[in-house]
Amino acid sequence: MHLLLVGASHRTAPVELRERLDFCSRGLDLAVRALAERQSAAEAVVVSTCNRAELYVACEDPTSAASDLLGFFSDFHQLPTAHIEPHLYSHLDQDAARHLFRVSSGLDSLVVGEPQILGQIKDAYGVATTAQSAGPLLNKLFHWAFGVGKRVRSETALSEGAVSVSFAAVSLAKKIFGNLSGRRVLVVGAGDMGKLTAVHLRAQGVATIVITSRTLAHAQDLANEVGGTVAPWDSLQEALLEADIVITCTGATTPILSKAEVKAAMPASRTRALFLIDIAVPRDVDPRAADIEQVFLYNIDDLQAIVRENLQKRGAEIGRAEQIIEEEVQKFASWHRSRDAVPTIVALRQHFEAVRKAELERLEPKMASLSPEARARVDEITRLLVEKLLLRPTEQLKKSGDISQHADAVTRLFALDQKDRGSSER
Amino acid sequence: MYALPFAFYILSLIAYSIHFGRRTPSFGRAATTLLVAGALAHTFVIGMQTMEAGHVPFAGTTQAISTFVWLLALAYLYTEVTTEERGLGVFVMAIIVALQVLPAVQGPGVEPRSPVLEHPLFWTHVAALLGAYASFGLAAVIGITYVLQFKEIKAKHLVFFFNRLPSLQVLDVMNSRAVFIGWALLTVGLCAGALWVTDALAIAPADPRVRAMSFGDPKIFVALVTWAVYTFQLVARRLIGWRGRRSAYLSAVGFAIVLLNFVLVSYFLTDSHNFGA
Repeated sequence: MHLLLVGASHRTAPVELRERLDFCSRGLDLAVRALAERQSAAEAVVVSTCNRAELYVACEDPTSAASDLLGFFSDFHQLPTAHIEPHLYSHLDQDAARHLFRVSSGLDSLVVGEPQILGQIKDAYGVATTAQSAGPLLNKLFHWAFGVGKRVRSETALSEGAVSVSFAAVSLAKKIFGNLSGRRVLVVGAGDMGKLTAVHLRAQGVATIVITSRTLAHAQDLANEVGGTVAPWDSLQEALLEADIVITCTGATTPILSKAEVKAAMPASRTRALFLIDIAVPRDVDPRAADIEQVFLYNIDDLQAIVRENLQKRGAEIGRAEQIIEEEVQKFASWHRSRDAVPTIVALRQHFEAVRKAELERLEPKMASLSPEARARVDEITRLLVEKLLLRPTEQLKKSGDISQHADAVTRLFALDQKDRGSSER
Repeated sequence: MYALPFAFYILSLIAYSIHFGRRTPSFGRAATTLLVAGALAHTFVIGMQTMEAGHVPFAGTTQAISTFVWLLALAYLYTEVTTEERGLGVFVMAIIVALQVLPAVQGPGVEPRSPVLEHPLFWTHVAALLGAYASFGLAAVIGITYVLQFKEIKAKHLVFFFNRLPSLQVLDVMNSRAVFIGWALLTVGLCAGALWVTDALAIAPADPRVRAMSFGDPKIFVALVTWAVYTFQLVARRLIGWRGRRSAYLSAVGFAIVLLNFVLVSYFLTDSHNFGA
């Protein structure tokens, strides 16, 4: 049984095509059921995210299956094959496994190391198991891929460090305050970046988000969106005293917070640090405010520099991740190869069992005088004998480098391909 | 006899260093396991000495250092288990290994028996002070790591410590707790010592060591300086907002004085505190 993957991703297909190849919009289970019904696919899993649409199948004849999967893409999405074909890639056996392992580790993602993809693959596999379209080969493959994804994440720094400005701000806030629950956030201005950061902070469980803006209506809109409250613009100084994390994103052309104003928010009685995130251009906070003890001031450039650095660090981990994946691909491939031996092993066992049964039957008259216990013992002994004799060849065959050649030899030596061998030996 | 715990401590330090550098979870677990093994072996050695001498070995300076190391290891293990943070391990183990060199080289020695030493106030004095020093050691490590991380965040260059240490807030709280526990024990220890001297003068008026107990004795003087530094840290934290970095620096200075007093002064300067063989 071969493993075949046919798909398109952000690497091969433009977004317009990826949108049309998306399987999720019409229901992933519908797609996986439709695929499982095709003759070419003995087992099927469909992976569909905004960056990729991939079909994983187990098949006997990869060449015909590959063209059938192209047909499936075209039938399901009602697109001419000529439209899709140039953007599809297909991988066979261990190349297919390597591809899935790279995807599950986040190596094939648009942002290398992004964490969502593993969950998306788990979901896709979940849909396939519910639809009972995944069999022994794909079960093994996907569980293996989850393991590889986890291994790469824990053994390399591929998924480490924030790679967006707002996440960088959140991770800094965590490094300063630890747990963010109970922290108070002040958003000054109603810019988009401020909103995004506030949403991320909300997800971390901050206690309150207070929004203040020169235009009250803008503040009110933002407050409704992120679940915050509005403070009047002229009470900025008091709001500053209360806040732990301040995001400034106004369109003001001169700084709205001077060093003296920040200093005034840090009296000796204050027990908390102050984290100022100035994502406005031009800047809203006087950069000299950073000199104040227990004040941490980051502007948009600082945050972008962190993002760049993190992306570089992730880039540096790719080699290690590829190494782990290659290791796992080899292990998977050797498991997959050993499966080729299964039919031969089954035939061999059936053959031995038939011989055993035949011998017992032939000796039946001589054993007639034995007690039922003794006869059961004889049956047991012969069975164990066969098992033990077969143990070593079974193992060796699975481990063998060239399974088809050895399987062939075994088949010929024991004449396993002669259908009526059982009766002819009798 | 101290060789076995010492060996475990060294191996643990190596594992903690690798874990700190590469953040491989398996090395982190190995480090903790080795530290637990070291602490157990150390407990065994101290237990043997206790049975032999009839009291916990802390009369002589070398034995006291060993007992201090043992307490520090236990205090750190407690912190690691409760906070699930291994980032401090490499720093604590560095202190543990550095201090344990002395007992490991000198050997356990023989603990003397003396009626002066079997007084309950003497026990309280030494036990409380060793506990205090272990707390201060931990506080100093926490303070140093606080400063390292503080500098990285202030400099906006998150290279190394950022991914490896607990947050500033957590470090600050841990530091103040450790200092407070240490300060309380130090206060108890000093008071017990002062009370013990009056009793000891009655029991053994002729003992030169007891006679040397005064504020002018280097060991006692420096101990009082230590107490003043930590008292200042606690007060400054509450009254003038000396938190975070300033607090961290103070706890590092405080522990430097403790080490000076505990090792250098004890070996070379003091006449009063030398009860070893």
